[in-house]
Amino acid sequence: MNLQVEDMRTKAVPAIASLMKQGTITLNNVKDWLRTMYEIRFFEDQVFELLGQNLIKGASHLYAGQEAVATGACAAIQMGDVIGSTHRGHGHCGAIGNKYAQDDQTRQAHWNRMMAELMGRQTGYCGGRGGSMHIADVKHGNLGSTGIVGGNIPNAVGAALAERYKQDNAVVVSFFGDGATNTGAFHESMNMASVLKVPLIVIIENNLYGMSVPFFGSPVEGAGCAANIEHIAQRSAAYGVPAKIIDGQDVVAVFLAVREAADYARKNQQMIMIEAKTYRWYGHSRSDPRVYRTKEEEKAWKERDPIAVLSKKLLEEQLCTQQELDAIRDRADATIKAATQFGLDSPWPDASELAKDVYVIETYPESLIADEKTASAQVMKATEAFETAVKTLTGQTKKEITEKAKEKIRTEFGMNVLLMKEAIIEAQAEEMRRDKNVIIEGEDVGIYGGAYGATKGLLQEFGAKRVIDTAISEAAIVGAAVGASLRGLRPIAELMYVDFITISMDQLMHNGAFNRYMFGGHAKVPMVIRTEGGVGRCIAAHHSKSLEPWLVNVPGLYVVMPSTPYDAKGLLKAAIRSDNPVVYIEHKATYGQAGAVPAQEYIIPLGVADVKRAGKDVTIVTYSRQTMFCLAAAKELAEKHGIEAEVIDLRTLKPMDIDTVAASVKKTGRLMTVAESFCMCGTGPEIVRRLIEYKFPDGYTGFDYLDTPPVNLAAADVPPPMSEPLENASIPTPDKIIAAVKAMM
Amino acid sequence: MPKEVRLPQLGQTMEEGTIVTALVKVGDTVKKGDVLFEIETDKATLEMESPAEGFVRKILIEVGQTVPVGTPVLILGRQDEEISQSYIDSLTGSETSTVSPSPVKKSSSSSAAIPASSSPAQQPASPPAPGAAALPEGTRVICLPQLGQTMEEGTIVTVLIQVGDEVKKGDVLFEIETDKATLEMESPAAGFVKAVLAEVGQTLPINTPILILADKEVEIAQACIDSIKSGGPATATPSPQAPVPTTAQPPTAAATTPIATGGRVFASPRAKMVAAQLGLDLARISASSGAVRITEADVRKAAQGGIAPAATMATVSAKYGLGQRIAINRLQRIVGEKMLLSKQTIPCFYLNIQVDMTELVKLRTRMNKSGDVKISFNDFIIKAVAMGLRHYPIMTGRLDGDHIQMAETIDIGLAISTDLGLVAPIVKNTGAKSLREIAVYCQGLIDRARTEKLSLDDLTGGCITVSNLGGFGIDSFIPIVVPGQTSILGVGRINDVCLPMDGNIMVRKVMNLNLSVDHKVANGADAAQFLDFVKKALEHTDNFTQ
Ligand SMILES: Cc1ncc(C[n+]2csc(CCOP(=O)(O)OP(=O)(O)O)c2C)c(N)n1
Ligand SMILES: [Mg+2]
Repeated sequence: MNLQVEDMRTKAVPAIASLMKQGTITLNNVKDWLRTMYEIRFFEDQVFELLGQNLIKGASHLYAGQEAVATGACAAIQMGDVIGSTHRGHGHCGAIGNKYAQDDQTRQAHWNRMMAELMGRQTGYCGGRGGSMHIADVKHGNLGSTGIVGGNIPNAVGAALAERYKQDNAVVVSFFGDGATNTGAFHESMNMASVLKVPLIVIIENNLYGMSVPFFGSPVEGAGCAANIEHIAQRSAAYGVPAKIIDGQDVVAVFLAVREAADYARKNQQMIMIEAKTYRWYGHSRSDPRVYRTKEEEKAWKERDPIAVLSKKLLEEQLCTQQELDAIRDRADATIKAATQFGLDSPWPDASELAKDVYVIETYPESLIADEKTASAQVMKATEAFETAVKTLTGQTKKEITEKAKEKIRTEFGMNVLLMKEAIIEAQAEEMRRDKNVIIEGEDVGIYGGAYGATKGLLQEFGAKRVIDTAISEAAIVGAAVGASLRGLRPIAELMYVDFITISMDQLMHNGAFNRYMFGGHAKVPMVIRTEGGVGRCIAAHHSKSLEPWLVNVPGLYVVMPSTPYDAKGLLKAAIRSDNPVVYIEHKATYGQAGAVPAQEYIIPLGVADVKRAGKDVTIVTYSRQTMFCLAAAKELAEKHGIEAEVIDLRTLKPMDIDTVAASVKKTGRLMTVAESFCMCGTGPEIVRRLIEYKFPDGYTGFDYLDTPPVNLAAADVPPPMSEPLENASIPTPDKIIAAVKAMM
Repeated sequence: MPKEVRLPQLGQTMEEGTIVTALVKVGDTVKKGDVLFEIETDKATLEMESPAEGFVRKILIEVGQTVPVGTPVLILGRQDEEISQSYIDSLTGSETSTVSPSPVKKSSSSSAAIPASSSPAQQPASPPAPGAAALPEGTRVICLPQLGQTMEEGTIVTVLIQVGDEVKKGDVLFEIETDKATLEMESPAAGFVKAVLAEVGQTLPINTPILILADKEVEIAQACIDSIKSGGPATATPSPQAPVPTTAQPPTAAATTPIATGGRVFASPRAKMVAAQLGLDLARISASSGAVRITEADVRKAAQGGIAPAATMATVSAKYGLGQRIAINRLQRIVGEKMLLSKQTIPCFYLNIQVDMTELVKLRTRMNKSGDVKISFNDFIIKAVAMGLRHYPIMTGRLDGDHIQMAETIDIGLAISTDLGLVAPIVKNTGAKSLREIAVYCQGLIDRARTEKLSLDDLTGGCITVSNLGGFGIDSFIPIVVPGQTSILGVGRINDVCLPMDGNIMVRKVMNLNLSVDHKVANGADAAQFLDFVKKALEHTDNFTQ
């Protein structure tokens, strides 16, 4: 293990002429770097001015001063390599766009789209959805930029994981600031990347400050300090990866270091860390008075302006005349001026398209939906027959009886009887066989087979490349799934408990759910987060919650919660095939629940509810394990109280099949929701809201069809307690459902 | 057992009356309807009829005395029945409070026989509920008044006040539906509403306590309110010998909860939707026991049980679908009952005649071109019928025991179809009205009928009804006599017909008249002459131009 940090600044940077002689670079390359740096500089100067004129609104983290880093790095990597950017991302976006611009016209169009995006115009890279902090051209290997400091790093790990898995020889460059290296996401990501041996180059742009706080002290009185080490590269020792410190003001130095790092990463399939010492000319943002920096410090850094440094080299080495340099500058100036005009002339986005590109629009053939309804009814019958058979058949052991009963269902219905967890395993296995882009990652998913046994046997069949055990790093697990799916995989990330999703929430929401929209519909995130929730095992408040209300509150996510093995399998397969990010939540008390599952391959469309019991008196809308409680309650209500409850299993909470709910309430006039999550702003109240606002073709609303106030049964507003009687008291149970229904009649 | 007779409210604003003449004396036998006294009110001198039959056992007031409405004026009993002094005292209020509706502090003044409620429609004396708290001074118990001479009970249609409201004398408290019409009940006094004892939908006998008024500060114990309420629907002649408070409640009260206690009607959205679809008025529907709002089931039950549809019936009726069940409204029920009564008790014969309307059609066109009032064919027919009745008074006759009583004035009913159903208000004193006056009056009646503003008076009386279905393309039909009237005239459409005339065949405008006649009153010859007269009156148009 090499714990040495190589400080490249101590070594002389080779002359441009010698590099040209070696064939490393051409003079045109170098001139193009200069042009790119000028373009970035003028772009930022222009943005600063437009901010002042209010022609650009919003964020204003300018890259001026740091141009050599983005320019040198993007020049050093190959076409097809990938970058990931940050809130200070105009330079990255500018440089990578230039790399792909084969001619001046494309180059102009690139800057046009950048400027338009900052102005929030329709013609911008993201159609005005992203703006300064999320500017990206995802088609050209840009993972996008994040506004959450450190938030982009896990995505880069996932992208690198995908490149490694695809074996297409690409590497990922992740840019981020010094400040980001103090986040948990950084640590989780560096650790995961180093363990998973992915081709990742992290470029830490140490501009000495995270907003106002110096990374490692400052002469200004009162200034704080973000870290206890001067060089971030030293942290590479913690991950056992190589690191270099470079002069971020010298584009040639950056180019050479990144080229070498990229070679290393590509060849060794290992990550490497580069700390580029650099400086931003402007404040953190436009409003920053920069009181935390001294004039002397600013002056000293400005003497090392990356444009001046390169110009000087070209002049001194007599590779360019001053006129030539001036011409490059003027051309860049003209490009940015034209881009500004383009932006100003561009139309605003159409507000009628506000909701466009939140999701990949997915539809299912009507016949599939209809056939599934038939299948579901058949499955209900088969499961009932199985349960009866288990009760009535005889045998020496329970196992023998169960096997006999299963055989009976196979012959009578052509269906297998699976436990919930077996159905989940089967779904994953089938999809992994079907599509090699499907991989699994998460804690204990490999040899252990998942904390609830839902990945058992998959490592054996698909190997460690596709069934990946990770460290306990929930943010990185989800963030990596986002990054991998941005790069074409269909990852299934398992979170052992939905409670742990709290740690992943930034990744899940800001990147997983929002990326597509923020990047103007050009990205998609076809990942599945498999997790489980609910009470039932006396494991208290950190392991028993139902957090689906948090998740349905996120635009861009799908949320699926199955209640039977049949649903679990069909829905999971559909979730894996979906191009939208799906959170798929199992219930911890149902893994051992047996149910009939068709022997043939099938999927269950997402967003389609299942009427699990028909009735005329009251509509009970539920999902997950509570469906079973509601069915038990409905049975008793019918048998003992003459009340016919219709039980609707939503199966998918988002998108919610409110049509089915509304059609039922139209019939019954009564709506009860039953959920195991907290009630406040919860799923039940949301169902009620949707129903009330529902518009029927006859002009009536769902509200009009209500004959009693809707009732929401949900978890008590307490942290889930451990003790069993308290646990039971905290959630709806069949007897509570029965009592509540009776009270409605 | 003796029955006291109290001074009735003979007009809506009557609070007290002065005895002008006593037409009976102790020992007389009286029948229900016999005139007992002549009473002078603020408006007129009126006859007070006996509400029951019996022997006059005691007269409690003297000629010249002015007493509030509700004051006992006479005791009826069996021929030789002894009337105890204590009963008399209880009526005149000179003794104990045992018969007051609640333990009210009583003054001994005989002019304030029931001081707790000097209102004209007060609760008749009835025993207090055991243990009930006393009504504070200044409290008035308002009872359901008799809003028309034949009114025996009323249905609360709308409650327009609620507890806490301040009301002035004359403010409308309730809308009450009687057998004849929906009427406004005005407050007989000023005060603050302390309790509303009646519920929408309840049908109550007159004199049932329905409201308690008092001064602002006065607080009335619930026990007290309960005791007044449980005193309940006492009849106009409560029996002091039966001191057990009657607990009889209107049939709906026990099973339902009041929803509209004067203000918002609480109903589920679905109930509102279904009520609108069925054309039912939610204000007339009660929620089931213990419930706070009307649900769909209540509406459907009400629809089956017969609740008057809302005024939007006309638009809704077009929506009736096959297989649908619709509520019978109260009006329709009354129509049905009356028609059944007619068919069961009136032996009819039927006459038909054709009228040549050619000239009248021309005349009418002419008149309507120039006149300020639009005259309908019905107006002409009513005028002709009035002329006919003047010539043949037997056609106004009403069977009265072994007599036939001819009408004093010629009053003619006009059948009007409204959104709610069929009504036949009376064109009063038609005989004295010109054609133009009839036209004006009829238009007023039609307007009032369509806006549900008909008064009880509009609906009372009549010798004959004119019913015209010509507008619906009907040539000829046989109508059913309205009980209490002598005949009914069914008018068909005016149709072009070829008629032989003076040896030629002429195209004339011909109309069919059918007369259904009560054979108990009139014979064929009378009726035929009458009908022929009407025909001729219509054909000789100068009848209408003089
Ligand atoms: C999680 C999070 N915390 C705080 C912020 C506010 N913020 C935005 S940029 C920034 C400084 C980041 O410093 P660094 O990573 O060094 O990047 P630089 O701005 O210096 O390029 C801060 C504090 C944020 N956007 N996200
Ligand atoms: Mg920084």
